[in-house]
Amino acid sequence: MWELKAAYINEIYKISKKKKLMVASIFSFIAVVAAAIIVYSLNHLAGIRVTGSSEFSILVLSVLSYTLIPLFTAFVCIDMFSGEFTEQTIKLTLTRPVSRVKVFLAKILAVASFIMADLLFIMILSVISSFLINGTSFSILKILLSYILEFIPLFVFSLVVILICHITKGTTSAFMISVLVFLLFHGLGILFPYYKSFLFTSTFDWYKLFLGSYINVYKITRSFLILCGYSIMLFSLGYYLFDKKDI
Amino acid sequence: MDKAIVIENLSKTYKNNRGIQDINLEVDQGDIFGFLGPNGAGKTTAMKIMVGLMKPDKGDVKINGYSILNDYEHAMKEVGCIIENVVPYPYLTAFENMEICGRFYREVDRSRIDECLELVGLLKYKNERIKNYSLGMKQRLGIAMAILSNPKILILDEPLNGLDVEGMVEIRNLILRMSHEYKTTFFISSHLIHDIELTCNKIGILYNGKLLNVDSTDNILKSYSSLENYYLSEVDVNVGA
Repeated sequence: MWELKAAYINEIYKISKKKKLMVASIFSFIAVVAAAIIVYSLNHLAGIRVTGSSEFSILVLSVLSYTLIPLFTAFVCIDMFSGEFTEQTIKLTLTRPVSRVKVFLAKILAVASFIMADLLFIMILSVISSFLINGTSFSILKILLSYILEFIPLFVFSLVVILICHITKGTTSAFMISVLVFLLFHGLGILFPYYKSFLFTSTFDWYKLFLGSYINVYKITRSFLILCGYSIMLFSLGYYLFDKKDI
Repeated sequence: MDKAIVIENLSKTYKNNRGIQDINLEVDQGDIFGFLGPNGAGKTTAMKIMVGLMKPDKGDVKINGYSILNDYEHAMKEVGCIIENVVPYPYLTAFENMEICGRFYREVDRSRIDECLELVGLLKYKNERIKNYSLGMKQRLGIAMAILSNPKILILDEPLNGLDVEGMVEIRNLILRMSHEYKTTFFISSHLIHDIELTCNKIGILYNGKLLNVDSTDNILKSYSSLENYYLSEVDVNVGA
C-alpha cells in the first residue's frame, strides 16, 4: 500500500504542476459564468424562462459533460500515459520499487480524482451562479446526485482514452483517435437508436433517469451494469497492455 | 561470496532479429562490473530487462536473490539505475523530480535529497526547472536520483554521457568511493573503455547479443597491455569464428 500511496501522490502532484489544470479551471469558470449571464439575461431581460435554480446546475452539467469535462479528462489521460511513454519520463517511476499494477492503479486513481475535482469545481460554481440568478430555492440533493452519477460515465470515458493511449503511438494520434471514438459512438447512437444503450456515450446523461417523478429501476440497473462491464473490460485490457509495454 | 546479480539464460529478440541471446552472468556483491560492447551489441537491452523496463523472451534476472519477473518490488528495493538517457519531468524543478523519486523510499527526506544534489554539484540549481538544464546537468541529476535511496546495487547505462572531463572524474571518484565505503555493487556499461579500465574490477564483453567473456581487470591486464587490446582481440576471435 505504501508504494501505491507514493505513486498516487506523485501522479496528483504531476497533474497539479501542469498548466492544463489551470487552463481547465479557467475554461470551466468562463463556461459557467457565460451560461449564467445568458440564462439571467433571458430570464430577466427577455422574459423567457430557460431554467429554474436547480435546473441551472443540471443544464451546466448536461452541456459540459459532453464538451469541456471529457476534453480535459482526455488531456490528463494522454499526458499521463502517451505523454510519459513518448517522452520516456515513465522510466523515472518504473525503475523504482513499485510494481506496474500499482503504477497503473495509481494513475487510474489520479484520473478519477481529477474527474471528481473537476465535477466538484463546476458544481460549486454552478450552484453559486444559480443562487445569484434565481435566489435561494434550489434542491442541492438533486444537483449533488446528478454530479456524483455523472462521474461514472466520465470515468469509463477516461478508461477508453487510456486504452487508446496504449494502442497509439504519440500524444497527437491518441488525442485525435479519442475525439473520433467519442464522436463515432455518438453518431452510432443516433444511427442505431435500438442499440444506443450499449454505447457508453449514451449514458452521459443517465443521471436524468434519477431526476424524474418516475424512477425506471430496470433502465437504471441496465445502464449501471453496462457501465460496470465497460469499466472492468477497459481496466483489464488497459492494464494488460500497460504491463506488456517495453520501454 | 553472495551474488548481487544473477542473469540466467537471458534472451530477447526484436523484430529485426537483433537482441540478446542466452546471457548467463553473475556479479558478486561489492564488484564494479564493466559491461563492454559496440553500439547495438545489446547492452541497453540487457540492462532494461535487469530493471524491469522490458520483458525477456526467455530467462530471468535475480537481484539480491529476488526475481525481477516474479518479485519486482523486492528485487528493486536496493537498486538505483540510469538507463539510456536521463529524462526527468521538464516542467518540474530538480528538487521536485527528486521528491517524485524519493516518495518510494521511507528513509529519503529533504535533507537526503539536498545531500545527493550536493554530491553531484546541483544543489545551487535545485529550484530551476529541468527544461533549462543542459545534457550534462540532466546526467548529474540522473546520478543523484540513482543514489538517492543509498542503494546497494547501481545499474548504470553510459553514466558519463554528456559530462565534461571534470564531471567524468567526479563521477568516477564517486563510484570508487561508494564501492570502497559502502561496498556498493556497480553494473556499468560504457563505450569509454579507458574509464571502464580505471573504474571496474570485472569486465564482461557483449558482442552481437552474446556474452563473449567475463574476467577480472587484473587478470586481463596481466595478459594485455590495455583493456582496449583485450577487447579488440576478443572481438577479433569472435568475428573470426
